[in-house]
Amino acid sequence: MKLAASLRSLASGLLRRSQMESELDEELRAHITNRADDLERSGLPRAEAERRARIEFGGQERYKEECREERGGVWLESLWTDVRFGLRSLRKSRGFSAIAVLTLALGIGANAAIFSMVNALLLHPYHFRDLDALVRVWEDRGIDEGYDARYVAPADAKELSTHGEVFESLTTYEMRSFSLGAGSEIQPVLGCKVTANFFDVLSVSPAAGRFFSPGEEQPGSDQVAIVSDGFWKRRFASDPHLLGTKISLNGRVYSIVGIMPKGFDYPVPVELWVPLALTPEEQADRTQLSLQVLGRLRNGVTANQARAALAGFSRRLEQDYPKTNTGRSIKALQLRKELYVFTLPLFLLLQAAAGFVLLLACANLANLVFARMIGRQREIALRAALGAGRGRLGQLFLSEALLYSVAAGIVAIMASFASVRTLRASIPAGWTKWVPGWDGIRVDGNVLAFTILVALGTGLVLGIATVLHATHVELNNTLKETGSGSVTPAKRRVRSALVVAQVMFAFVLLVCAGLTIQGFAQLARVYQGFEPASVLRVEIALPEKAYPETVRITNFYQQLLRGAASLPGVQHASLITNPPASNVDSETTFFNIEGQPKLKSGEAPSADLQIATPDFFATLKISLVSGRFFSEADNANRAPVVVISRGMAERFWPGADPVGHRIKLGTADAAEPWMTIAGVVGDVRQNWWNPVTRPVIFKPFAQSAQRSMTLLLRTAANPTSYVSGIREVTRRIDPEIALHDVTTLEEEVTDSIAIVRIMGILMGIFGLVALVLSSVGVYGVLSESVAQRTREIGIRLALGAETAALMKLILGHVLKLTAIGLAIALPVSLVISRAMTSLIFGIVSMDVTILAGFTALLFLVALGAGYLPARRAMRVDPMVALRYE
Amino acid sequence: MTGQAQILPGNLDLLILKAASLGPLHGYGILLRIEQISRGALLIEQGALYPALFRLVRQGLLKTSWGTSENNRRAKFYELTPSGRKRLRQEAADWNRLVAAITLALGAQPEEV
Repeated sequence: MKLAASLRSLASGLLRRSQMESELDEELRAHITNRADDLERSGLPRAEAERRARIEFGGQERYKEECREERGGVWLESLWTDVRFGLRSLRKSRGFSAIAVLTLALGIGANAAIFSMVNALLLHPYHFRDLDALVRVWEDRGIDEGYDARYVAPADAKELSTHGEVFESLTTYEMRSFSLGAGSEIQPVLGCKVTANFFDVLSVSPAAGRFFSPGEEQPGSDQVAIVSDGFWKRRFASDPHLLGTKISLNGRVYSIVGIMPKGFDYPVPVELWVPLALTPEEQADRTQLSLQVLGRLRNGVTANQARAALAGFSRRLEQDYPKTNTGRSIKALQLRKELYVFTLPLFLLLQAAAGFVLLLACANLANLVFARMIGRQREIALRAALGAGRGRLGQLFLSEALLYSVAAGIVAIMASFASVRTLRASIPAGWTKWVPGWDGIRVDGNVLAFTILVALGTGLVLGIATVLHATHVELNNTLKETGSGSVTPAKRRVRSALVVAQVMFAFVLLVCAGLTIQGFAQLARVYQGFEPASVLRVEIALPEKAYPETVRITNFYQQLLRGAASLPGVQHASLITNPPASNVDSETTFFNIEGQPKLKSGEAPSADLQIATPDFFATLKISLVSGRFFSEADNANRAPVVVISRGMAERFWPGADPVGHRIKLGTADAAEPWMTIAGVVGDVRQNWWNPVTRPVIFKPFAQSAQRSMTLLLRTAANPTSYVSGIREVTRRIDPEIALHDVTTLEEEVTDSIAIVRIMGILMGIFGLVALVLSSVGVYGVLSESVAQRTREIGIRLALGAETAALMKLILGHVLKLTAIGLAIALPVSLVISRAMTSLIFGIVSMDVTILAGFTALLFLVALGAGYLPARRAMRVDPMVALRYE
Repeated sequence: MTGQAQILPGNLDLLILKAASLGPLHGYGILLRIEQISRGALLIEQGALYPALFRLVRQGLLKTSWGTSENNRRAKFYELTPSGRKRLRQEAADWNRLVAAITLALGAQPEEV
């Protein structure tokens, strides 16, 4: 009731402002006339009666103002006045406004651009209904596996899907490379085998056609495919009659039953989906972790509850199937968070750096505003004398600051459209297509809301700082003074504090940027221990149907290697399961060392497992530490051998040569053979995100052939010129085999660290901005404070002070402030750098030269910023300086 | 001006509510009514009446309408709303309690302590 009345009063006050004004006028006038009438009736002459009536009434304007205030809405009205005043003064001092708006826009824009990435990659990587209910589920074997290795054994997956208290629905899938077409037309496509309910779990619908039916999960009736929008457009030129078309995949005929909408690319951008049709034997398998699992949580079940329930479920599996499931536990992670391991540290770092840039911009602008405030002291004092209360003055400054920040926000939003596009395009599409949400990086509603909030927050902080700084203007002193207003010691302290703060922010930001850039530069050299130049890489996946057993696989690859090696200019040709910089983690395995206590799985040591042909080490020029490489003699008929990495040798045979020792893969009582260590080779980092080089076990291909391998060719000339040659060699062996991902290793290495490079560049930009902002800021404050001391300097000079001594005085002050700033910043940046080290893949390490370098740099900047204005002040004729005020 | 008392800031609202409760009045009328019902014992700053009137309107205790005054001039009339009436009853009761308490206290004799 009361609120409603207030609102009505406020609304009518605002809407009918001029009418209310005239009514107020009329009402007061009527009162005075009535009073005058009464007085006249009591015998006074009319003129005297009116005069008396006005006097009795009191100050009309004052009461009118009070009435307006009582009516409500006055703050809005005066806000409007202030905004208009602010706009006028913004126009009047164009230079100042431009600098203020641009400085803030830089800070706000940096935050908006980074937030657009955070928003897309961290908050909305996928656009599925109720995204937070989707969880990835996998079996953890207690090996520290990468995020790529998140699989479930088929039989366990089946039990999970019937375990209804946690999951509303559950789907399993498996990535597969297919050879599309037949004969010389053959092309590689990446596909995914999925259960029939796959699309229902994600709750998507097809753009055309239908999804799979449960009957199509049976082997034999599974020859149906759903294709991606890209597949339809690129390979079939958007053919309107695609549904029902037959295509050949790995030599089997599939009929296309559905087309997915544009932008659907789960689990990764694949071109087609086919039913996952497992034979009963495959379904009953508990040994191989081969399937990926995605579940939709039941309504109201949280991720934590799911994790607890799954822990219990895994214990039951362990009891029921101790042989296979001992040491395995089922884990769940929200789909949205799956890539957090990469995106969280990188983007939080960038967001933090952008935040620092904004803080620095704020400090800079606060400086400018305070400097300007000195010039405005008389205006402020006058306003105060005319009855503007502290609140009213505060509102004025606040609305001015908000005006700047809102203008900066608008500039930032406009600029961010361009900068976000640049950011998105700065990383090769071949890499970013694997990053869910990358295409969603744009300025959307969330980004706009965030930017506006940041802008308003900035305005509030700045405004409040200005208010606190300005409202204790000493009225009388300022008004009495004839000069341009003085700087009180309190104010000087505030400005000194600002210099200190700027030095501090700049130093912390510079150190963080420096460390990150240095870390990223090291990353660029992270792929050490091999030579990526002049190497061609080709991925090959032999179809199971045509290559059911080892002999045929070995035959194919032997012919391929022979054919490749015979191409003129090919120096080495070899096979490896997972070449360095592939952006995929290697398969990991437990192993046991002969003669050492038997360990259960979960306690046994683990290593990456690679399968290689003898020439692999020569192809990549990996060094031999001891023993020997594989030879052609290490074939299926000979005793099994392995080659291990130097890191593994040093960790498990410290101070000894492991050559001749034997190890066994898997658990202690597994049926695997003991394998003799034939040699130790140099360490090679698999992927840039691995904090340390993991131990690696290499097995000879001839003793453990597998269908999917990567062919590596070291060539004399430009490796890409061998592509057609290798295609021809393959076609002659088997025309049905498609070559996937044909690139040079060098390109692969460059692409794989593109994201790292762009982070480095962004941090570099932030660091540079920080340096410029803080130099300008420190220079501005110092030159102003020196200028204000011109009179003092003049007096000192007139009294015979030495120029050098004066210079020392001024520079001493500058150096003191810088030193204080650095003294605060040093421990802060040490703490931050330690946090960064653990955050970003261990690539950052505190570097004394960086600390020393930036310390020196900031001192230099401060000295320069103090010296220039000081020299100007020294040159001034003492007489002029004395008359200056 | 003997016999006249300066009123306390908060009491003006109460007096206005009382004056308006006796029938719709314009601003000057309220002034006269207060003088009349207090038998001229209360001194009111004329201008100060209006901010108080605006405040009471905003609080929803008074409502306004434009009409014609007794001497045929256009005037803004103030009238008590139901919640204004309620407030008047409440504040009058509060006031009476306060006055009674203070009178009692001031009338205390040494032997009563």
